[in-house]
Amino acid sequence: MSPTPEQPHPVTVEERLFSLVLALIATQIGLTKADILSTVQGYRQRFRVGGDNASLERQFERDKDDIRELGIPLETIESPDDPGSNHHLRYRIPKGLYDLPADIAFSPDEIMLLKLAAAVWREGSLSAESRRALTKLNSLGIDSSDPVIGYAPSLRAREASFEPLGKAMDRGQVVAFLYLKPGESAPRRRVIAPLAVVLHEGRWHLYGADQDAGATRTFLLARIVGPVVTVPGRTIAPAEDGQGERALAELDALWQAQVALITVEPGSDAAVRLSKRGEPGPAEDSVELHYTDVNILADELAGYGPEVYVLSPSTLIDAVLDRLRRVRDSHAPLPETPLPRPEAAR
Amino acid sequence: MTAAKPAAFGASDKLTFLLSLVPFLMDHDRVSVTAVADHFGVAPERVRDAVNLIAMSGVPGETRQYLHGDLFDIQWDEFETNDNIVLTHLVAIDDSPRFSAREAAALIAGLQYLSALPENGDRDAIATLMAKLTRSSTGAPSQLAVSHTDADVAISVIQAAVRAGTQVEFDYLNARGTDEHRCVDPLRIQSVDSDWYLRGWCHLREAMRTFRLDRMSNLRSTDVPADSHDDGVVLPDTLFQGSADDLTVTIELPAAALELLADYGPVPHGPAAAEGLSRAEVRVSHFHGLKRLVSGLAGVVTVVDPGAARQTVADWAAAGAARYEAAAQGEPAAGAPN
Repeated sequence: MSPTPEQPHPVTVEERLFSLVLALIATQIGLTKADILSTVQGYRQRFRVGGDNASLERQFERDKDDIRELGIPLETIESPDDPGSNHHLRYRIPKGLYDLPADIAFSPDEIMLLKLAAAVWREGSLSAESRRALTKLNSLGIDSSDPVIGYAPSLRAREASFEPLGKAMDRGQVVAFLYLKPGESAPRRRVIAPLAVVLHEGRWHLYGADQDAGATRTFLLARIVGPVVTVPGRTIAPAEDGQGERALAELDALWQAQVALITVEPGSDAAVRLSKRGEPGPAEDSVELHYTDVNILADELAGYGPEVYVLSPSTLIDAVLDRLRRVRDSHAPLPETPLPRPEAAR
Repeated sequence: MTAAKPAAFGASDKLTFLLSLVPFLMDHDRVSVTAVADHFGVAPERVRDAVNLIAMSGVPGETRQYLHGDLFDIQWDEFETNDNIVLTHLVAIDDSPRFSAREAAALIAGLQYLSALPENGDRDAIATLMAKLTRSSTGAPSQLAVSHTDADVAISVIQAAVRAGTQVEFDYLNARGTDEHRCVDPLRIQSVDSDWYLRGWCHLREAMRTFRLDRMSNLRSTDVPADSHDDGVVLPDTLFQGSADDLTVTIELPAAALELLADYGPVPHGPAAAEGLSRAEVRVSHFHGLKRLVSGLAGVVTVVDPGAARQTVADWAAAGAARYEAAAQGEPAAGAPN
């Protein structure tokens, strides 16, 4: 313990971050790391003049990242006398880029809509993002008009891959993950530069440049198994705007182009639900269903068991039959009862 | 309305609150702690903590000593005696912070989702709002997009009934395959991604129930006033609640595939005999939902125990396969096992 002349009142994380933001906005020419560590509240208490400040420096690096994550434009300026030197780098937050543009205003109706949009995210990392966005929106002091009652639309992004993919997109990083392709039973490693994450037909998809295939590919987030890791040293230039729209347009075109014809057992779950989603087919009890991926549709239709009978295309017939047989055969009675429990009489 | 459960509030949230509170206080000469708490939707104690911190914060200043003039200041008497906030000295910031790219993206994607709903049909208004968000964010909003889908007409019918406070009636096919006529006091229309649900008081069951919109037929609104459920009836946050009658089923699957079953809250149960597979337990209300689930995950999930569950699944898949095999009678089933 080094003796400090000041009363060491414990500085909380938010106080240190707040003080850092204030100090970096207040400076025109920027502060060097040494300035910051020796003078800013929360660092100065732990700074040792002429001593080893390695852990404090690491703290500062983490704090910088955390601040940038919040959308605060923390800039680095190289010294004109000593370019390339880390020692004389200066840090600052340009107030013009920090402040919400002066001509931006939101009406009470817009605030109401934005609150509803934020509330759509109930779980996962995006609920924290939208909560912070709302806090910033509230700082404008605009009261929202009355919300629509009895109404709770929600989007779920509970796939664990959501957050790392979002971060990788923001940072232009290439990622790798294990992907269990629909219709296959063993996952395969993919190396992807993520371009967009889109919700289509109720499923989250990743749209990205497949580094091995040299082309863009679409992946289902629900089929990404295991962690998404960044590939060290591999970055891409930030993608141009409109990647999300492009991904959706591709999925829409695919969906339009592919139609399955099925019959549904009258009065069954399949009849009620699939008839609503598709259009009536030529024959009685037949339904035309558009789809994007034959294996995903086959998975879904196999779930309906005998309630659905596929008429076309033949790839879908084969895929559904194959699934039903696999399920049937993998659930054949076990050779010996592994547990002393009576089997149901059959 | 249900009481919002307090989500974990980290340092990033606290910093955002501090940076947002300053410009708000600047625009309000004198404001009570409770008014601020109401506006931001936080507990009054959080506002007091933040004000205390702001009032002691500032910049190092020329002397690098955080002298009085380098700090924010408030009227302490007003604060301590009357619980009012009067900001008297500002430092460094005086405006609302911009959104981060991901914050803007979260709101934009949320708006895209809402735009599918009948009352938000004004696409131009939504587009204007999205453009404002884009201009208000530090970086280009992350590429996050939600496709436009045509909303079920049932949503409008139920929505109107919620507003009018009247009952709706419909035929409902439940997961077991039973079709019944229901009269329901609609309380809330709720969605999870592309699935829509009605939550309300079911007069047939005399209890709160959750109904899938896509399992309803012959939906119509009535003139019958809905009962008041303001008192004592709380809608839980989760759509479905487990019951003591639930059955426990043991399944086998690749450990990595557990996430596919996240909705069913699988409890890992150690490795399986076969290499690369592990076991887990799930709880289901009956085997009819299970057979649909497992048949939709062919080659991934296998039911191990109890035998009756295994048999229900096998019978379901066999009945499905039999329809094709009967049709192909006489022809060799290419590549078919056994």
